[in-house]
Amino acid sequence: MKDDIIVTKDLCKTYVLGKITVPALKPTSISIKRGDYISIVGPSGSGKSTFMNLLGCLDTPTSGNLIIEGTDVSKLNENQLAKIRREKIGFIFQKYNLIPTLNAIDNVALSMSFVGINLKTRLKRAEELLGLVDLSKRISHKPSELSGGEQQRVAIARALSNKPSIILADEPTGNVDTKSGDKIMNILEDINSQGETIIIVTHDLDIAKRANRNLYIHDGEVVEAAY
Amino acid sequence: MTLLGICIGIMAIIALMGIGEGMQQAITGELSSLSDTIVLSTGDISANAFGGGGFEHANNNEYLTERDIADIQRINGIKDVSTVLFSPGIITFNGESNSVSLVGIDELNMEKIFGIGVLGLESGDFIEEGKQNTCVIGYNVAHEYFDVDIELGNRVNINGKNFAVVGIYKKQGSGMSTETDDNIHITPRDFEKITGLSESSSAIIRIYDVTYADVIADEIETVVNENHGDDDFANAITMTSLIESIQQIISIAQVVLLSIASIALVVASIGIMNTMLTSVMERTREIGIMKAIGATNKDVLFIFIMEGILISIIGGFVGIALGIIGSRGLSTVLTRSFGGELTPVISTSSILLGIAVAVIVGMLSSLYPARKAAKMSPIEAVRYE
Repeated sequence: MKDDIIVTKDLCKTYVLGKITVPALKPTSISIKRGDYISIVGPSGSGKSTFMNLLGCLDTPTSGNLIIEGTDVSKLNENQLAKIRREKIGFIFQKYNLIPTLNAIDNVALSMSFVGINLKTRLKRAEELLGLVDLSKRISHKPSELSGGEQQRVAIARALSNKPSIILADEPTGNVDTKSGDKIMNILEDINSQGETIIIVTHDLDIAKRANRNLYIHDGEVVEAAY
Repeated sequence: MTLLGICIGIMAIIALMGIGEGMQQAITGELSSLSDTIVLSTGDISANAFGGGGFEHANNNEYLTERDIADIQRINGIKDVSTVLFSPGIITFNGESNSVSLVGIDELNMEKIFGIGVLGLESGDFIEEGKQNTCVIGYNVAHEYFDVDIELGNRVNINGKNFAVVGIYKKQGSGMSTETDDNIHITPRDFEKITGLSESSSAIIRIYDVTYADVIADEIETVVNENHGDDDFANAITMTSLIESIQQIISIAQVVLLSIASIALVVASIGIMNTMLTSVMERTREIGIMKAIGATNKDVLFIFIMEGILISIIGGFVGIALGIIGSRGLSTVLTRSFGGELTPVISTSSILLGIAVAVIVGMLSSLYPARKAAKMSPIEAVRYE
């Protein structure tokens, strides 16, 4: 029996724009099991990114609870949230979000520096992770010298660097060609097969269908879906 | 532009400290060798600060009497007393004329005051005792006053009377004997003949024990003032007090100049702050990414403060290098303008001070931009385009 890695209880986020209150995420109660491979699909402005940002501890809920590996993170301060982000969560962004001035290996090693791992160990692990995403020969290349697919693979390696238990991928194939997108999805599925929890936001139903559980968001409401 | 401000500030600090230290060492070194000397003068006496301790005598018509000299000699701890005659004069050579300073002093007193070895002769000898119409001339008088250099054995006309040049001093440069380069030394007897003056307004007194210099100087002043019934008739000044007053003047000058340099540092810190603020704005997305992958506010603060310090230290090192070059250039200019020799002293402590100032300026000026970066919301920062 798999344990719950993420539990939300009436998790809600509203934005106040002047006198208008906009519900970006309506009260949501779901649980995600360790090792799940989940897709979240929904139209633009439906609340996908808000949900992801809350799950990733980048944003704080207006009300409700978010429990990650038994810890209610909705009550934590900024520094405690940063600790959760660096130890439990790996981010993969649609636009890769690599640091342009750092080469591939340094980009991967960066997040390990926030945990206090020494330089030698950081570089060794970063090199191994880049090997895992088939970029051993590109470790000293800067993001501007890499293709979109390669940059996204560096971002995957970076997301894995602190051995997180959850990988959050926001449109990971949104900016790459089909062949590169397929390669990225294969890597993510490999990672999932090793027990990692993967939550992926996508517009692409073909990508969503590859997940073993599907969520659909519409007007801030999260529902289970089947494709 | 950011580096330029810090460069100028640190350069100014290093150069000014180097020159100041060089001046102090030049003066202290020169005057320390004369620390057993007390200079007595009627009226005012002042120190010639640059290059150390030449004496400028105020024009006055008050002279020391034989009684004064005898009374001074009776004071405990006095080794000897030598009077010195000063007067402006005109030297004519090879059809050209120039004004010079005439010093009436005999060989014995000359040795007492400076020691011939201290001044050093380029050629010839000092005036033999009792030998009239002979002179020893300063380096500048021999080599720079006239189109043709004056050589040993040449005859020059001083105040209408012919003198044979029997000696030429070596170039003295800055220091106690600066004026010697522009002086002509003649015997007191010749001095009286051509100037009509036989009385001296100055005396140089040597003592046995320098630790009593101030006490003896006070006693000398009291004795001479009592003789003339005037509390301000004479002024006795020790080399120690002279060194102290010169050092004080240099210290004040350094403080003033360093204050000016600190304005450059304030401008520099504003420059660094501006650059860092621009950098924070340009790198908003980067800050968001760092925070998304686990950087705490403290991590971001540290990164930006370190960047500010790095910029400042780079500027600081360039400033130190330019300061060393600048102090040498400045000392060359000062030496050419005022004569003498001035070697800037760049000490380890002034270099360390330069680095410390750079670190502090970098840290303080990047504090606000770094705090701004640290406080950014990761979600907003990562969305920033």
